[in-house]
Amino acid sequence: MQTATTAAPAVAVRGLRKTYPGGVEAVRGIDFDVAAGEVFGLLGPNGAGKSTTIGMLTTTIAPTAGSAWLAGHDVIAEPLRARGVSSVVFQDPVVDRGLSVRANIELHARLWGVPAAEAHARIGELSGRLGLTALLDRPAGSTSGGERRRVEIARALVSRPSVLFLDEPTVGLDPRMRHELLDVIAGLRARAEMTVLLTTHYLDEAQRLCDRIAIMNAGEIVALDTPQALLADVGTEILELRVEGDPVNALALLRADGVAGAGAFAIGARLTLPLHDRPAAAALAAVQRSGVRPTDIGTRAPTLDDVYLQLTGDRLRDAA
Amino acid sequence: MATTAVGAPVPAGVRPAPRVRPASALATLARRRVALTARTPRQIAVPLLGPLLLALVAAPALDAATGGLGSQIDYAAFIDVGTISLLIPLSCIFAGLSVIVDRHGGAQRELLTAPVPRAYLVLGNLAVAGVLALLQVVVLLALAALRGADLAISASSIGWFAGATVLFILFMYGLAETLAGRIEKEEDYLGAVPAVAILPFFFAGALFPIGAMPAALTFVAKLLPLTHALALMRYALVDPAGSGLHDIWGMSDPTTEAWLSLGVVALVAAVLLALAIRSFTRAAVR
Repeated sequence: MQTATTAAPAVAVRGLRKTYPGGVEAVRGIDFDVAAGEVFGLLGPNGAGKSTTIGMLTTTIAPTAGSAWLAGHDVIAEPLRARGVSSVVFQDPVVDRGLSVRANIELHARLWGVPAAEAHARIGELSGRLGLTALLDRPAGSTSGGERRRVEIARALVSRPSVLFLDEPTVGLDPRMRHELLDVIAGLRARAEMTVLLTTHYLDEAQRLCDRIAIMNAGEIVALDTPQALLADVGTEILELRVEGDPVNALALLRADGVAGAGAFAIGARLTLPLHDRPAAAALAAVQRSGVRPTDIGTRAPTLDDVYLQLTGDRLRDAA
Repeated sequence: MATTAVGAPVPAGVRPAPRVRPASALATLARRRVALTARTPRQIAVPLLGPLLLALVAAPALDAATGGLGSQIDYAAFIDVGTISLLIPLSCIFAGLSVIVDRHGGAQRELLTAPVPRAYLVLGNLAVAGVLALLQVVVLLALAALRGADLAISASSIGWFAGATVLFILFMYGLAETLAGRIEKEEDYLGAVPAVAILPFFFAGALFPIGAMPAALTFVAKLLPLTHALALMRYALVDPAGSGLHDIWGMSDPTTEAWLSLGVVALVAAVLLALAIRSFTRAAVR
């Protein structure tokens, strides 16, 4: 598991923990670093601790224990400086609906100390890049969900943050808007302007955008690596079969026959067998020779859902 | 508790954290509040309606019906000043409501991530609420004067009146903001209006001197900071002999009594403002 980078990280987290009143442990002591310029994903279902982690890093949630730094500034000892080098796009829409789009962005610029002339130029540049020029003088409350999210991104970027937090940025958007927004975020990545810490429970977002992903489950990081390395752990191809009767027995039988390796798992009646370097045809033939009689069988490419399943016994999609 | 470790090195190429000047941050937050308030004119007009009716209609009617206080104080003007003790609480309660609206549907979450002390969010709102309340007071008194209220205006009276009014606004807004930080829903918050605005209005001597009440109620009235603020405002504008202050302190020198009441109101204002900031920051950070 990769936790540290050699150069000074843009985000550093050590033993971060959050226990809410009543004993709910939302984050159970996590450690990770994010290199400057990296796009880092926190992937996990609802309740995994992703938003709580973001909250602690952005000083809107007080950690119970542990430390964190943004661009070298301790979020607990130097909260103002830490906030000064970062911006957040929240999961829920957070705009002053009664103010114009321009006023919302200008407010952020002034509070982050951006000089007026620079802010004006920056708003012009960002509104062009994000397709907001025609919306600038409209009330923010009159914008659609996708437009509002682009407004929030423009607002977050106007101060040129060193660290940008995107908390479930595409939740609640229709597929077309999601796709457009992912293009926008990918564009930020391409320009390598800043470090991005993204939380999501969408696998395609994480795979498409992130240089490295930390998979969170029940307040802990259960895996942290590049998407390619995480997927490599479950092989290049997956053999999936549905069985009647006891799937645990079926899996044991396949293991005894050498068809299923240590990484194979059963969820309900469905067995998932990472093939690694084994050809699919050979695996299919081996299943036919075993005593297992699947009702459905096929192969597919592995996804991060399989990684999550293998680590936690649960599905990212279903748990979300 | 989180441990504080040695600062991590700053990554190469990272821009330093901005230094935001306090005056600039406060002005920005106040401008935001002005812009949002301007879009809700009811916040400006509604707190004025009741007090204006009292001052322009009820005050002269009560004076005519009762024959006055039996002193040199113009009873209608006495009530005119008394209505300020309803106007300012209502104005501040409405201003505090916007804090709850911000929390539920506005940009408060974004503001909480700004590199400014969170107390500035309270102070920025307070500045606007205070100016608005002061303007409403001026409108009320101007209309009362046009109606014929006998108000004694001088440099020192303006000083006393301004001091009492500003401190009254500070402690009422502190109370409103504290309640807004602790009460989740708007309807529950508005449910506090009778206790915060209506009851004190009656007990603090808005319509009659506190000495006219039974001794036990007079004692309760002396404990209310509103009673002190009201007595000071009347001392400034309609009661130069300080009979209202005398009802509280029982001393012979009204100037000394005025300073004592000013001290009471200032102390309550300081405490409630500190509580408001603490309530806001605690409610803002989970």
